[in-house]
This record gives sequence, structure tokens and C-alpha cells, in this order.
Amino acid sequence: MADFEPKIIAFCCNWCSYAGADGAGVARLQMPTNFRIIRTMCSARVDPEHVLRALSKGADGVIILGCHPADCHYIGGNYRARRRIALLRMVLEQYGFDPKRLRLEWVSASEGEKFQNTMTSFVNTIKELGPTPLRGVQ
Amino acid sequence: MGFFDRLFGKNKHKEDCNCGCKEHEKKANVNVGDAPKTAAKAAPAKAAPVKEPPKEAANPLDAFPLLPGAPPGGKIKLAIYWAAGCGGCDVSLLDTDERILTIGDMADIVMWPIASDGKESDIAAMKDKEITVSIINGAVRNTENEHMVKLLRQKSLLVVSYGTCACFGGSPALANLVPGGKDEILDYVYKQCPTMKAFQETQKAPVIPQTSVKTEDGVITIPELYDVVKSLDQVIDIDYSIPGCPPTQESIRQLLAAVAAFAYNGEALPPKGTMIGVSSKTLCDECPRKKEMKRITKIVEPHEIDVDPEQCLMDQGILCLGPATVGGCGAKCTRAAQPCRGCYGPTSVVTEMGASMFTAIASLFPVLDKDPICGEDDIIDIMASVKDPLGYFYAFTMSKSLINRSVKEKGGQ
Repeated sequence: MADFEPKIIAFCCNWCSYAGADGAGVARLQMPTNFRIIRTMCSARVDPEHVLRALSKGADGVIILGCHPADCHYIGGNYRARRRIALLRMVLEQYGFDPKRLRLEWVSASEGEKFQNTMTSFVNTIKELGPTPLRGVQ
Repeated sequence: MGFFDRLFGKNKHKEDCNCGCKEHEKKANVNVGDAPKTAAKAAPAKAAPVKEPPKEAANPLDAFPLLPGAPPGGKIKLAIYWAAGCGGCDVSLLDTDERILTIGDMADIVMWPIASDGKESDIAAMKDKEITVSIINGAVRNTENEHMVKLLRQKSLLVVSYGTCACFGGSPALANLVPGGKDEILDYVYKQCPTMKAFQETQKAPVIPQTSVKTEDGVITIPELYDVVKSLDQVIDIDYSIPGCPPTQESIRQLLAAVAAFAYNGEALPPKGTMIGVSSKTLCDECPRKKEMKRITKIVEPHEIDVDPEQCLMDQGILCLGPATVGGCGAKCTRAAQPCRGCYGPTSVVTEMGASMFTAIASLFPVLDKDPICGEDDIIDIMASVKDPLGYFYAFTMSKSLINRSVKEKGGQ
């Protein structure tokens, strides 16, 4: 398991987290490179279908990053996303996934360091969990 | 003589219906004679010389409540097969009004396990594409299902995926969520469940059906169960699909109209891949209830409250799958104060029906005052009022969902 390099899909909202990721890059913060970022306009734009599709195509983990509560560019998008992801996590657990494979975090535009920490810890979590149970199944 | 002739032979000439319904009046105008035989001769004669489709009576079904006898090119062949389903679809197929009396004039039913005597060997002996239409209901769950649907595909011109189980997996596909697959299912059904437990205790060793058993008279085999229940289009190529649990009478009428127009007038069939009997919008579009976009804090079952006859069920806190389900059924359930369970499947632009429903449901819960400061656990508490989300939102579409079976993490149990 030591040489397992996970593939992670990160959905970042355009207004906070994507800018936060940008900030982390500009500040040359070091972090694992196992994730691919997909920029969305809002964390609420992430349809549960996107997450399920990522997992069904062999992603080992999915992380959704949005603006902090009360800080959403669209007033309430992140509240919706939070409810949706809570429901989705219940569903993943029913499927037999470890719900830790799906995470929701808040990263603002100025929090490059938080982005670094979040991604590092998520990659470590997934490394501990091992490859997705769907790898090689379909 | 077709199957229905034999079955309804006595009733065939008794068709002086006094109900005065529109269709009958129309028929009386079109045909001079009363007996269906006159109609039978009139129709092909009318249709045959005029090569282009006649303007009136373009479709035999519109003009005649009863089908007009044998088609000009001889009877078509019809096969109906029953895979992993409950049999409700077979019964729903009978729902063709009085036309059922004359379907036997149009078609020979070469196979229909629930009602007629066609055998697998009869079908295997046929030429390829000899059967005009095969209507297959039920999901594919064992080796026999798979063998038969592949055989019917080979021998048929058209294959219709009929009913929700054939189209999306239906209720049988929920078995995909049993973590241990077929072994766990067989173990429970034959060993663990209370009635079988009592029986197994009387036996020396557990008795479980084997796929093949040697007896004095030879080897007896039964089909082997699969771990994953598949929808029909995951196994064979299909031409049309008709969703519904069971499909409505209107869908059956449309299918019959298309087949009859093909058989009698030689008209072109609908393009391949057509979904028959569905609209392009969701069920909410045809539901008569009034939507006020209320927020809900609690989810209830219909029997727990006095259901308002006018108001949207979602507004009343009942989980209705209307927003994610394609319309076409006429909102029968919601009119009767029962929530939509989603048997018609998703709309054409959506692949993942359950996911559309999470999106809708999550937006129903209001943003609370404490939302900016509360933790993730509080949110999980709110959403936990949705019981068994996977089973509820994917009750009919598990086979076609992106992840269509249960998975097992390697590390944990």
C-alpha cells in the first residue's frame, strides 16, 4: 500500500476555494499532487451526480471546497451544498463506501495555507483507506 | 387461429356494444356493417389500393375499436417474455380495451410463458427476425433470462423493453445492494428466514437448490442466479422502451397503434430508441397539485397526516419523487394522494435519477438561523430525517445508476 498514489477529484468554487488554491500556488506552498481540480461557479453547482460519476470512474476520493458559511457569493449556495453532501454521504455509506472518501471543506480566497493543509490531510486519509473498491470492478 | 381467438372464441361475434362511446359511434359511421368481419375486409381493401397513407383511418386503431382482421401480408408474429419481474406487466398488456378480442386476428402469439404454450425450442427453430415484435418485461437476473432474451433478440425484428424492470432494473435490482451478492441472498432465503429455518432444522444437512442435480432419470438443471441484476438494454440491443410499473394503458395503445400501422398499412415504425408513453418534462408538469415552494423541516409518510387534496405533497412534507421523474403517466399516484415513487425513471437529460432527487430534497430544508455557525453533525442530524435514501431514491433505477451495486472497502468489514 506504500506506493499507492490516489487519484482525487477536487471541486473548487470559483469565488473562494479556487482563488485559495491559486493563492497556495503563488505562495509556492508544498503539497501532494494527487488531486485534479475542477472549477465550479459555486459548491452548490456540484451535482451529486458529478461525485457519483467521479467515483464510478475510479476516483479514490472526492473533495468539495466552498466558501465559508455566511460567505457564499450566492448567499446560500454552500448551505445547499452542505445538505446535499450530507445526504450523499449517507448514500455512499449504504453502498459500502467509507464516507471519508467524500469530504466538504470551507476554504476562502485568502486561505492558501488552509488549502494546503486540507489537501494534504485528505490525500493522507485516502492513502490510509487504500484504492477505491470500484477500481478494477467495472 | 390465434391464441385470443381460442380464448375468446365465443365472444367474437358478440360486439353490439350499447355503451354509446365515441369510438363506437365513429366506427358505426365508418363501417356499414355491424359484424367485425365486414370491418376486416373493408380496411385492408381501403388501405391497399391507396399507396400513400390514407388521411382518415391512417391508423387502424383510430378508426376501429377492433382490429380489422388479418393484415394484408398475413399475420405477424408476437412474442412476450417474462424475465425477472412480478407478472404485473403481463397482466397490464391485456389492457387494450375490446381490441384484445381481435389481437389474435392480427398476430400469432408464438410465445408467452404466462398464458400460451410456446416453448424455447419452438423459438430456436425459427428463422432470424421471423418474429415481428418481442415484448420483454422484467430485469435480467439469471442465466435463463439472459439466454432467452438473447434468443428472442436474434429471432425478432423489434424488441420492446416493457416496464420499469426491463428499462431500469426495477425493484429486483435492489438486490444489487446486498453486500454478499447471490450467496447471501440464497443463504437468507433458504436458511435464515424464519419459515425456512424451521424446515432446515428437520433436515440432516441444509437443503439449498443446486444448479444441476444428478438423478436416476438424468441431470436436472435450474438457472444460475447472478450477483448483479441488469436491465434489458445492458444485455441486448433494444428498439423501444416503455417504462412504468406497470406501463399505462395509453403507452400500450401507442405501441399497438404503431405495430398495427406497420402491419396493416406498412407505415414506418417509430425511430429506434423511442421511449413510448413518456413526456419530455417531469411529473410535476402534469401533476394538478398547487406548489407554493414551502420549506419543510420534517418528512412524513402519507398515513401520518391528513393529506391536503390540493396542495403539493412535497410542501406537506411527503417525499415525492415527482421532480426527478419523467412525466407521461398522468400523475395517477399524486392525484390519489400518494407520493410518486419514480417508476417512470429519469428525464432524458439525466442519467442519475437519485442524484437529481438529492439536489431537490436538500433545497427543501430551510436555511436555519444557526446555519452559519453549526457544525457538520447538526446538518447530518437534519438530513437523517430522510430514511434509507439509497433504497428510496433508487427504488426503480438501481441497474441504470452510475454505481449499480454495493461495494466493499478492502480495509474495513
